[in-house]
Amino acid sequence: MTQVRTSSAHHPVEASFRDPSGYLFSLDGDLYRQVNSIYQEHYTRLMDSGLYQTLVDSELLVPHQEVEIAPLDPISAWRVIKPERVEFISYPYEWSFSQLKDAALSTLEIQKLALARGMTLKDSSAYNIQFHRGKPVLIDTLSFEVYSEGEPWVAYRQFCQHFLAPLSLMALRDVRLAQLLRIYIDGIPLDLASQLLPGKTRLDIALQMHIHLHAASQKRFASSALPKERQMSKTAMLGWIDSLESAVNKLHWSPAGTAWGEYYTETNYTPAGLEHKKALVGDFLRQIQPKRVWDLGANTGLFSRVASQLGASTVAFDIDPGAVELNYQECRKNGETNLLPLLLDLTNPSPGIGWGNRERLAFGERASVDAILALALIHHLAIANNVPLGRVSSYLCELGRWLIIEFIPKEDSQVQRLLASRQDIFSEYTQAHFEEIFAANYTIHRAEAIQDSLRTLYLMEVRH
Amino acid sequence: MTISVITTLSTLALFISTHGKANAAYLDPGSGSFILQLLLAALVGGAFIIKTYWKKIIGFFRKDSSREKGGDEE
Repeated sequence: MTQVRTSSAHHPVEASFRDPSGYLFSLDGDLYRQVNSIYQEHYTRLMDSGLYQTLVDSELLVPHQEVEIAPLDPISAWRVIKPERVEFISYPYEWSFSQLKDAALSTLEIQKLALARGMTLKDSSAYNIQFHRGKPVLIDTLSFEVYSEGEPWVAYRQFCQHFLAPLSLMALRDVRLAQLLRIYIDGIPLDLASQLLPGKTRLDIALQMHIHLHAASQKRFASSALPKERQMSKTAMLGWIDSLESAVNKLHWSPAGTAWGEYYTETNYTPAGLEHKKALVGDFLRQIQPKRVWDLGANTGLFSRVASQLGASTVAFDIDPGAVELNYQECRKNGETNLLPLLLDLTNPSPGIGWGNRERLAFGERASVDAILALALIHHLAIANNVPLGRVSSYLCELGRWLIIEFIPKEDSQVQRLLASRQDIFSEYTQAHFEEIFAANYTIHRAEAIQDSLRTLYLMEVRH
Repeated sequence: MTISVITTLSTLALFISTHGKANAAYLDPGSGSFILQLLLAALVGGAFIIKTYWKKIIGFFRKDSSREKGGDEE
């Protein structure tokens, strides 16, 4: 690396500052990772041992290229690599149970493959895993270090906090407890997990050891120095990883048979109406040819798949953990590569968290999108959540150029259901008013009535 | 003066040598998490050995019985 000038065009990525092995930065819209001199030995081992190639071939690590460009910080830099870009960065509090479980199992698989080649993971943050082409992959190429036999796993605490604690709470207490990850950026504290888990988990050897005993050990040895003598053999380390893997594998959660289970069949469309709506959505999408689509209120992804099957990289957001779970299971079953289901409450979207509120970005700050699908959504926002139509319009128009939105009038049985238990204070919730309000931000290109229903599907474009 | 320069240089050399070769670990492993692994290492390692051999034994018999049945398993 001879070129050492850092231009003002280099921008450090705010999520990458804790590990001195290197830093992420962006330059002219591309993403790079600076590898520091301090990490040279470990990087060389990763590449020369065959571990890198094995992990990339197994789709467990994001591939990268070594490039000749100026690093972010020339004093500490040794090399610059350009990782393959992940389409949409998501966070563990936006994942369904199986997404977090698959991310955990990938992390353990990576650790086993690393140990087989004389390396070990020096961190096991859930934020280092991203869904890339439908699979959970490690995006931090600098997460490995040379393994020195005898040493315990330095990332064990982090693995339990980021993966095992939330997964066991989701499976055995309540799936919504995954939202604790949004509060605790370094994973759920184990003493809290231990308190929240049902008492019967103390009879499970793996959970007793990795959560309850682990929490007790943290309390007991809180102010102790690390023991000098290191005595964890490689066999014991492999056993430890195997024990974590068994603990994760034993945890299951499925929306069937729970309170979430019955929701998905409850639509008021006739089969012909549903087909007509799908055809209209497809027709609108073919007209605008978006590269990236966000489906807001995607349920189990029926209409998201219209977009993804037309080749758009699609993210399917829904508020319901059960819907996201079923959608992800479907993606996995079909091997879908350009559809990512995620959990999102649009009335309280993921905020910026961590250092300076910039370490994990807010929902709307992570990517730009060409088209938004907002199908069977407006009544949930305007009536169930009292969001005025003007606010819905001005928020959506910030997210992307095109909007495919369905208007559902008050006479529709789904809106009647929402109004059944409350006073109708929504005198302005009419189709005419909806069009008038949205026309302030959008040009309405098309408006098509959906067959066998009272609903209308609109294609709108943000006004310049 | 000379002594202080030598002291500074050797301290620096020691710093570089330890930093150049030491593990790149930046994470606090947590004393309790570290000690728990050391305390239970032998137990978990032993159980893992038994599990591995048990799987091999079971695998051997399964293979054997599938051959008897004329199974097409490899």
